[in-house]
Formats: sequence, structure tokens, C-alpha cells
Amino acid sequence: MTLKILTVDDSKTIRTIVKRAFSPYDCEVFEAENGVEGLSLASKIKPDLVVLDLTMPVMNGVEMLEKMKADPTLKAIPVIMLTAESGRDNVLRIVKLGVNDYIVKPFKGEQLIQRAEKILKLEPKKEDKTDELLERYISQKDSYYIINLPDKITKVVMVEIENVLKKTMESLAKTGICLLNLLNVADINVSLVKVILQVIEECQKNKVKVKLVGSQQMANELKGFSELERLPIYTTFEDAIA
Amino acid sequence: MRIDLRSFVTNGVKEVFDKMLSMGIKPVEISPTDTIEGSKVVGSVSFAGAILGSVNIHISDQLSKVLAAGMLGLSPEDIEGDDEVNDVVGELSNMIGGYLKSRFCDAGFPCELSIPSVTKGSDFRVESLQWDTREKFGFEPDGGRIIVEVFLKRGA
Repeated sequence: MTLKILTVDDSKTIRTIVKRAFSPYDCEVFEAENGVEGLSLASKIKPDLVVLDLTMPVMNGVEMLEKMKADPTLKAIPVIMLTAESGRDNVLRIVKLGVNDYIVKPFKGEQLIQRAEKILKLEPKKEDKTDELLERYISQKDSYYIINLPDKITKVVMVEIENVLKKTMESLAKTGICLLNLLNVADINVSLVKVILQVIEECQKNKVKVKLVGSQQMANELKGFSELERLPIYTTFEDAIA
Repeated sequence: MRIDLRSFVTNGVKEVFDKMLSMGIKPVEISPTDTIEGSKVVGSVSFAGAILGSVNIHISDQLSKVLAAGMLGLSPEDIEGDDEVNDVVGELSNMIGGYLKSRFCDAGFPCELSIPSVTKGSDFRVESLQWDTREKFGFEPDGGRIIVEVFLKRGA
């Protein structure tokens, strides 16, 4: 079921960031510029989550939240509050308002999704963007498929890789081997380890062997992660195929 | 007023640029008379309470488009009108002002923060009179310069 997310913020920039954060998921994002518009839209669409700014003209986030809590048809809707102020008093005030969670600006889209996932079950978007994703992540060398990871691994990338694997697993299974290209990855971090393990696990289920291709420096650094310490990393595709 | 304004401003600006734009930004020494030459955008927010004042963020026109594009996930060529730039500069000012306000409150100077305003043009200065503190801080993100100007005095 497509989830309805309502972003209420006077800044188009923040509404755009919220929309972009939810874009890989099966969600429809509705926008309102202030509390008055937000309340009206919330009554109409009954969203599954409201991402509500605290400071807005016309009607601010506190007033909108109070009105939602006073309305039997809206009071159960979860709310994540956004605020530019991280001071102790402000945080205490927000917590007392009865919000499900709050995020202090500046924030990254990934942070919002992490918080939303504590409240909702977000599913990858069903919309068929297969061709675009395949073009971005999959290439071929001889008869082997290569899964190309981008320079930065984000939550969005992890969801997209999950979708790509679902779409290509049948083809990968026919060759029995796939190459995971780490040569473009700039940062070695926990997200990268997670996505490598995600690919290996999914491929193992389908009896596909994964060979990692990356720089020598990356091979050395990934050995620091216990989950990957025994996994060989080849420095060229030729070595991996041989 | 015992406030480490330099550290508050530096940490606030760095955090906002890192989280919202994934952009490294380094503080640079500037003189009190330094300004952004040519066409620029200035985002402002004000504080009122135990501390009174304002913070003005001066950004060159060209850099403001780069920042707007970065925040909105577009390329700078796609930023055609002023609306996107004004909204992004306003939001950056709100976040930097919010960070300062939070630090002021935690330091024992409770105050409220105004909604941001944005001014665009060339060859203008922001003048404020009779402040206890008036400081300017320079920052250099990739290929540009930002000046953060803070005016403060004790409130009631």
C-alpha cells in the first residue's frame, strides 16, 4: 500500500529534501506551506506520517500539532517535528508536545528516513524505473555481469541495489558469477560494508558467487571489518574472472 | 557578555554546509571592512530576548546559485529564477541562526528567533547601529566566499 507522507514547511527547499528522501520508497508525498494548509490537507488525505516544521508563518507547527491532537480523526497520525533549534529548552518543549520524534536542522534525508522507519514500514517503490537503474548499476564484461557501486553509498543506493538485484538475479544465476565493482567508491564506511553483504547474501541465496573488484587500499581497509576480512578483493576485472 | 561567538558561528556554519550540502567549508581571516563585491544575496534572522541582535549571511550571486542547486539536487544551470535562491539562502540563514540561538539559550541567554528574510542586489551594505558586539567571520566553501556578520547586545 502506498504510504501518504505530508510535509508541512514554509520552505520549498525543505519540502523538496523531504520529497527526495522518500522518493525511492512506495510513498506519495503531499506538501503544505503552513499549519492552516497542513491541517486542511491532513483532514482530507489522512496521511500515514506528517513531517512538520516548527517555525512557520500563518500557523506554526506547535499550533498545528495541538489542533491535530484535539481532533479525534487526526490525533493518532504520527508526527516528526523539524526544528532549527537544538537548545535544551526547545527540545524539552517539543518532546512535551507529544510528537513521535524530532529532527534538528540541518539534517540529511537519510536521517529522516531512519526516523520514519521507526514509525512506518517503508517499502521500495513499485514504480518501474528498472531500465534507468540497470543502466546506472549494471554493466557487462564478456559474459559476466558487473554491479557498479557509486562513489557514495547512501540508504537510497542500498534500496536501489536491492531492486536491481531482484530484477537481474535470473540473469546473474545463469552465469553463476557476478563482479561487484568497488573501484568508484570514495568512502569506506559501514554503509559500504552493509551493501557488500547485502549483495553477497542475495546472490548466495541464488547460488551466484560474488567477486569483489577494488583498489589495493580498499582491500586493506576492508580487512578491518570482521565480516569481510576473509573475502579476496581483486584489483582488476581480468584477475577476478581468471 | 561571555560568549565564544567565533566558535559558535564556525561550528554552526560548518555543520549546516556539511549536512545540507556535503560541502567542506573553511574559516578565513577577514577584516571588518571586507565585503562581498558585486551582486550578492543576504539572508538575515534576528534574535530577541535576553540577547538582541541579528545574523546576516552574505553570499555572492554566483555562489548562491551553486548552493541552491546543491540543496535542491539540481545543477546550477537549472536555477533560473530568484525564488529557489531566496528560499535556500533563507533556509541556510534559519539553520545557522537556529544553531546560534540554541547556543545562546544554553549559555543562559534565552531568546526567540525570527523568520528569515532575504535581500538581493549589488553595491549595498547592511548597517546596524548601537550594538555591543559587531563581528564578521569569513568562510570559503569550494570556489566562493561567505561572510557571516553578527550584531548583538544584551536584551531586557
